[in-house]
Amino acid sequence: MSDIKANSKLDTSGKCCPMPIVETNKAMKKISSGEVLEIIATDPGTLTDIPSWCERTGHTLMESGNCEGGFQFYVKKG
Amino acid sequence: MKSLAIVVRQDGYDNLLTPLAFGYLQGAEGTQVDMLFVNWAVKALTEEGAKGQVIQGEHADQDAWVRTQVEKAGLPADIYDLIQALKSTGNVNFYACSLAANIFGVNENNLIPEASGIVGASWFLNEKAAKADHCQYF
Repeated sequence: MSDIKANSKLDTSGKCCPMPIVETNKAMKKISSGEVLEIIATDPGTLTDIPSWCERTGHTLMESGNCEGGFQFYVKKG
Repeated sequence: MKSLAIVVRQDGYDNLLTPLAFGYLQGAEGTQVDMLFVNWAVKALTEEGAKGQVIQGEHADQDAWVRTQVEKAGLPADIYDLIQALKSTGNVNFYACSLAANIFGVNENNLIPEASGIVGASWFLNEKAAKADHCQYF
């Protein structure tokens, strides 16, 4: 369990590429700069897609790791 | 990547999934995506053609199973619904190649409203494909 407090949470469990990235883009539009989005995913493609998406889009991947049944990412909006 | 051009020439439900998924990914991220449909694929830019897409050939008997898997993945299972989802990003343009439109019976009357028009291949290749950061052919 992370100590990071997220302002918003997106659960993409069960969904596969391209939906986790499509939905992450939509979710990020709804939060303000400096706020944190927690993303839950089960698609292993997100392990490469989300860090690379953060680099391209100017957001910060604060933490990532495994969680029950999948993967968890904390992204701060740039 | 600021711009992506995609040329789609193969129709069939499964053949259309990858270019549409790639377009959806990049469109959602803010990339300008321009997609030209040529050859048989142009029929996917009509409502009847989009809804009529099926898996052909050796995998034809797995059409229903693939649609279920697509839906489970979170994508619209219907090709026309998927085209509308791409359009809703505000960053994806669909074009019908004029030669393909002429050969395969696509015109301004049956072109879906999500398409930006019937265009010449020369215009697309020079104004979109050559100027895009990346170009893909399916």
